[in-house]
Amino acid sequence: MKAPVKKKRPFQRRKVCVFCADSNMKIDYKDVKTLSHFVTERGKILPRRISGNCAKHQRELTTAIKRARNIALMPFTVVSS
Amino acid sequence: MRRYETIFITLPDLSEEDQATLQEKVRSLISAHKGEIINLEDWGIKKLGYEIRKNKNGRYYFLDYRATPDLVREIERNFRLNDRVLKYLTVKAQRPTKTASPATPKEAPPPPKGMEAKNPEQTSEQTTEGDLT
Repeated sequence: MKAPVKKKRPFQRRKVCVFCADSNMKIDYKDVKTLSHFVTERGKILPRRISGNCAKHQRELTTAIKRARNIALMPFTVVSS
Repeated sequence: MRRYETIFITLPDLSEEDQATLQEKVRSLISAHKGEIINLEDWGIKKLGYEIRKNKNGRYYFLDYRATPDLVREIERNFRLNDRVLKYLTVKAQRPTKTASPATPKEAPPPPKGMEAKNPEQTSEQTTEGDLT
């Protein structure tokens, strides 16, 4: 991980929660394709500050990912080869 | 009666006959306890996210049904006793699923009772630019 450097960051467009932006998008633990957008390559859940999700949807997403992991639709960890 | 969804994973190399008996077992169990099967689908053999009992693949079954808590307990007990079932997961169904399964996309009928809030309230204008799918 990079060390946090106090430095002026370039202006970033405020991220909008994708689930709020598109009401058709549902968070479902069976829908691995959607969920996989919100995990890293190692299978970790992306934090809100990266994904830009709102608190409510991030919460739902987390449960969904955890359920998917439980039933082996998603991995807990991906070991890099 | 509440609506539940159960996914269970069986060994990938079961014979047709074993698969049929397993499905039959589930069906009879549910009907014996006056539950109601809404859907029982076979998602086929999928690669598991991690190995379960040294198995890299598993056959997924998706079961959508109405049952009492006792029946759910009974079904899960049966899965636990059954060596052919690798893993199972039961959740309360909450809303119609957009994509029911990767194998067979299908619209599920809307459940009569939603447990949680269905949709986020649309306070601001809708934008579809950040569409991920």
